[in-house]
Amino acid sequence: MRALPALMPTATLVSLVTAVPLLGTVVTGSGWWFPAVAMMVGAAAASALYRLTGWSATAVPFLQILVMTLLLTPLFAAHTAVLGVVPTSDTFLELVRVLERGIDAVDTGTPPVTGTAGVALIIAVAFGVIAMAADFLAVTARCPGMVGGLLIALLAVPLVVDDGGVAPGAAISASVGFLALLAVDVWLRGREWGILVPDGRDLSTRFLVGLRRTAVVGVSVAAAVLLALTVPLAVPSLRSDVIHQAADGTYIGNGPNGITIMDPLVSLRSNLNADSNRTLFTYTTDAEEPDYLRTHVLDEFDGVDWTMTPVEADRDSRVGDDLPLPTGWSGEPDGPTATTRISMDSDALGPDFLPMPYWPRSVEVSGEWYADPESLVVFTTDSPRTGLSYTVESASVTLSADELAETGRPRSVPGSFLWLPDDVDPRVAELTETVTEGADSPYERAVALREHFTQGDFRYDLSPPQVPEGGDPLVHFLLEDRVGYCQQFAGAMAVMARQADIPARVATGFTPGQRMGDGRWSVSTGDAHAWPELYFEGVGWVRFEPTPTDGQETATVPDYTEGEGVGEPEDEETERPETEPSADDERENDEPTDGPEGSAAPEDEETDETAAGADTESDSGGWAALVWLPVVGALLLVALPALARIAVRGSRTAALTGGSAAVAAHAAWRELRDTCLDLGVAWDLTESPRATAARLAAREAVPEEARAALWRLALGEESARYAPEPAAAPGAREDLRAARAGLVAAGGRGARFRAVLLPRSLAPWHRPRPDVRPAPTAA
Amino acid sequence: MSLGTHHGGHEGGVQANVGEIVTVADRVRGAIETVIEGKPEVLRVALTVLLAEGHLLIEDVPGVGKTMLGKALGRAVDCSVQRIQFTPDLLPSDITGVNVYHQDRHEFEFNPGPVFANIVLGDEINRASPKTQAALLECMEERQVSTDGQSRTLERPFMVVATQNPSDMEGTYALPEAQRDRFMARVSVGYPAPQAELDMIDAHSAHSPLDALAPVTNAAHVRDLADQVRSVHVAPGMRRYIVDLVNSTRTSPELRLGASPRATLHLVRAARAYAALDGRHYVVPDDIQALAVPVLAHRLLPSPEAGMERLSAEQIVAKLVSRLPVPGPQ
Repeated sequence: MRALPALMPTATLVSLVTAVPLLGTVVTGSGWWFPAVAMMVGAAAASALYRLTGWSATAVPFLQILVMTLLLTPLFAAHTAVLGVVPTSDTFLELVRVLERGIDAVDTGTPPVTGTAGVALIIAVAFGVIAMAADFLAVTARCPGMVGGLLIALLAVPLVVDDGGVAPGAAISASVGFLALLAVDVWLRGREWGILVPDGRDLSTRFLVGLRRTAVVGVSVAAAVLLALTVPLAVPSLRSDVIHQAADGTYIGNGPNGITIMDPLVSLRSNLNADSNRTLFTYTTDAEEPDYLRTHVLDEFDGVDWTMTPVEADRDSRVGDDLPLPTGWSGEPDGPTATTRISMDSDALGPDFLPMPYWPRSVEVSGEWYADPESLVVFTTDSPRTGLSYTVESASVTLSADELAETGRPRSVPGSFLWLPDDVDPRVAELTETVTEGADSPYERAVALREHFTQGDFRYDLSPPQVPEGGDPLVHFLLEDRVGYCQQFAGAMAVMARQADIPARVATGFTPGQRMGDGRWSVSTGDAHAWPELYFEGVGWVRFEPTPTDGQETATVPDYTEGEGVGEPEDEETERPETEPSADDERENDEPTDGPEGSAAPEDEETDETAAGADTESDSGGWAALVWLPVVGALLLVALPALARIAVRGSRTAALTGGSAAVAAHAAWRELRDTCLDLGVAWDLTESPRATAARLAAREAVPEEARAALWRLALGEESARYAPEPAAAPGAREDLRAARAGLVAAGGRGARFRAVLLPRSLAPWHRPRPDVRPAPTAA
Repeated sequence: MSLGTHHGGHEGGVQANVGEIVTVADRVRGAIETVIEGKPEVLRVALTVLLAEGHLLIEDVPGVGKTMLGKALGRAVDCSVQRIQFTPDLLPSDITGVNVYHQDRHEFEFNPGPVFANIVLGDEINRASPKTQAALLECMEERQVSTDGQSRTLERPFMVVATQNPSDMEGTYALPEAQRDRFMARVSVGYPAPQAELDMIDAHSAHSPLDALAPVTNAAHVRDLADQVRSVHVAPGMRRYIVDLVNSTRTSPELRLGASPRATLHLVRAARAYAALDGRHYVVPDDIQALAVPVLAHRLLPSPEAGMERLSAEQIVAKLVSRLPVPGPQ
C-alpha cells in the first residue's frame, strides 16, 4: 500500500468538496463552484503527490500556493496568457480587475449574489486557503477533527448572510463528507497502530462493551438534543421558529435573521395617546381620495388580543418589481392605478413595516424589503432608517355594494381566518347571531355588523374605562360599557365577522391624514388607526370601518360598506341580545351550519370564571409539555448512569449461573471491583485477588460474613485466573451479594449516594490502570 | 505478605501429591521449630528451597542461629549431613575430596570430601578464599564433582546451606555476584522476638534441643516430593508475570545489575514449591510476591544513585513488585 500517504489528502479534499454546496444559498448562477473545486483539487493533488515522496511536510503549503497561483491564470485570465496557461504581464492586471469587480459585486449586491467571475475568484481563493489549512490540520498535524472548525466557518457564511439559512441537502452533504474524513482517519490509524478490540470471548463481555458504547452514544445524542432545545430558549437571538411560535406571537422572521417588533396594537395605542400630534410622514398621490395606509395585518385572535402571525423574510418574499397578487384576485385589474410617493419625516425613525395604500401592486424602495404574500404588508429585517422615501403603485378598484352582495361563501382563503378560540364568551356569539339575523349573504351580515357599531350606542373614547380584573375585554366592550376606540371597534367587528362566517382580520396603519396647502398629505401620530378587513370571494380583502367617524375625524367610510338598501333598520333594535332573546325555529335550524357559535351556544350557562379556568388549563397544557420535556429529559439523564450500572450488574449476575466456573468467577470479581470503584474504594491492579480481599476485609465495619464471602470470591477468581482447571464456586451469587452488602455498609453515606447516582465504574478513566507498563519481552 | 492459612479444602481439584507435600512439610516445620522458634517465614523459604532443589544462603550477624537452622533441617530429614567450616586456609580439595595413592594396591583411591552429602552446611562461606568458594559453587551448580578427569555425581537431594556474615564484617571475602547467583534464595534469620528468646532460654538451658530432634522424613521421600513439585501448574499469565518482574530489575535505573535468566528459572522453581507448600497445585502472584525478595535481592547490585538514597536491593525489589500489575483474567 504505497499510496497510503495520499489517502488523507484525498479524504480531506472530498470533505471540502462536499461542503461547497453550503454556499448554494448565497451565490446564484452556475459554474461559480468550478474554480473553487479546481483550486482544491490542485492543492490536494500537490499535497498527495508530494507526500508520496516521503519528504518533510514543511514544503507542502508552499507547493500548494505555487500550484494554486498557477491555476488562477487558466481559470480566470486565460485569454491574457500564452496558450491559456503561461501568465503574461497582462495576466496579473486582469486578475486584479476581476477581483475588483468581485469585491464590488459583493459590496453592493444583496445576497444571494450572482456568481460572476469576480465572485467566483473570491470564492476560489477562499476555498484555496481553506484547502491549505485543512490539509495542514488533517494531514500534517493529523487532527482531522479540526477540519470541522473550517466547515463550521463555511456554514456560518450562509447563516449570517442569507435569510434562507442552509439548504438541508448541503448540510447533510457537508456532514457526510466530514464523517467520511474521520472514518478514513480512524481506518488509517487502525492500520498504523492497531485498533483496540474488546476482549470478546464471552457473550457477557461483548454485551457489556456494546452496552457501554450504546450508553455513550445515547448520552451524547441526548445531551445534543437537550442543548439544541434549551440553549435557544436561553438565548433569544437563537430562537428557532418552532419554539418562538409556541412562546411568542410577535416574533417575526425565521432563523437567526428574524426580528422582534413591538406589538402593533400597543404601538397604535401609544401613537393615539401621544400628546403631541407629531407628523410621521407626508405623501403625494394622484388618487382623488386617498385610501388608508396599512402597516400591519393582525390575523390571530387569542381571546383578548389580535396578533400577527410571524411573517417570513426569505428569498421568495423579497420585494422585486411587483408585489404578489392579492388573495382572491384572478389577475391584474383593468382599472386605473394610483401612484403614491411617501416621504418619512426626517426626524422620525423609519418604520420596519411600510405604510402603504391598498391594494399595493408594486413598491420602489431602497434596501432590503420583504412582502408577505397573504397580507401584502411590506417589511424589513434591517434596522429602521430615517428619512426614507418610497413610491407605491396601487390599484384603485372601485367596489360597489352590488358587487359585494353577489359574492358567495368564501372558499379561497385558509380556514384560519375563521378560527376563534373556543373560550370566546358565548354571549358574543349570541350577539352576532342577533345582529346578523335576517342577513343572508356574507355581505349583508358584514353590513349589519358594521351598522351595529356605527348606529348603536357605542361611544368613541381614547381612554376607555378599565376592564375589571378578570373580566373579558371583548364582552366588556360589546355588552357592557360600549366605550372604546378604533382598536376595540376593529377587533370586536373582526371577531363577530368570523362568527358570522366571514373571514376577517384586523389591519392597522393610518388614515389618509390631513391635506396640506401644497397638495400633499400629512399623516401624524393621531392618524394611527385600526380597522377590520373582511374577505369576499372573488373580490378579496375589503376594508370596513366600524369606528364612529366623529371620534376618528380623518376616518372615512367606504361607500360599498353602506349597504344597498338591505341594511335593516331593525338592526339598531336588535343590538342587545337581552332585548330579543329568542329566534324562531327556522333560524335556529340554520345557525349551526353558519358558524362556530352553534357549538358555543350550549355553553351559555357557564360562568366566566369556569371559562377562564378552562382557558388557563388548556393553555398551560401545551406549555406544560414544553416545560416537562426538558425536566423529564434531565431526570432521565440523571438516572441514566444508575440505570446503566444496574444493567451491567444484571448481566454479570446472570453470568454467575449457567456459565463456566471461570466466567462466573470473573463476573463476580469484576462486579466486586466496580462496586469498590463506585464507592471510591481503591482498586490496585498490582494486588493479587487474595491480597485485595484481605485489604477489603480489613476495612472497618465490614461484617464477618462479608469477609468470608470476600475471601471465597478472591479464591474463586484466583483459581479462575491461574489454576489449570478452575474450581466451581457454587455460592458465588450469595457471596457476591454478601460482599457487596458489606462493602456498601462500610462506605459512608455520601459514598453510597454517589455509588448509586454516579457510578464511577462506568467511566473508563476511573478504571485502575498500571502506572508502569511492563516492557515487552521477547518470548 | 504472609499467606498464613491453608485453603486446600477450597480448590476442588487438589492433587494427592500436594496434600502429601503439605503434610511432610508441616512435620519438618514442626520438628525444626522445636529448635528455632518464631521464624516461620525463614523456615518456609528454607523448605521451599529444599523442595525446589536449590541452595540456600543465610546471611546474618553471628549468633542468631544460622548454623542451627541448617543443622536442624539436616536432622529433621533423615539424610547425610556434612558441615564445612570455611576458613581462609581451606583448600578446594578439602571440599571435593582427594585421590589418595594406595601403595599396597598401587592405585589411586578417591576419598570423597564433605560435599558428598545430601545437605552440606557451609559455615561462614565468605571467610574462605575465592578459589575455595569457587570449588563449592561449582559443585552446587553442576551437582557433580570432577577430580583428575573423573566426574562423580552427587546424590539427590543435594542442598547447600551456606551461612555468611555481612560482608562488611572483619576478615570476610564477599561472594562475587556471579556466585551469589548460584543460590536460589537468601534469607536473614534476624533476632528472635522477645518471647521467642525467653522460650529459647528455657529450651536450651537443660540440653541441646538439637539432640532430641528426631528425623520426620528421609532423603528418598524428599526426592520424591521434589519430583512432584515440578508438576505444579504455572499459568501463562504467571510465566509472563515472572518474566516481567525479572525484566523490570534489568531496566530499573536503581539497579546496576539486574537478575539473570537463571534467576528466572530459580523463581519459577521456588514458586512451584512455595505453592505446593501452601497446598495449591498452581502458582499465584502471591507466591511470586513472597519470593521476589528472597530469590532476587541477593543477585542485584543497586546503582550508585540508589546507594546514595540508601535503598537496599530488598527495598528496590519490593518496590518493583508493588508496581507490577498481577496477571488478570485470560
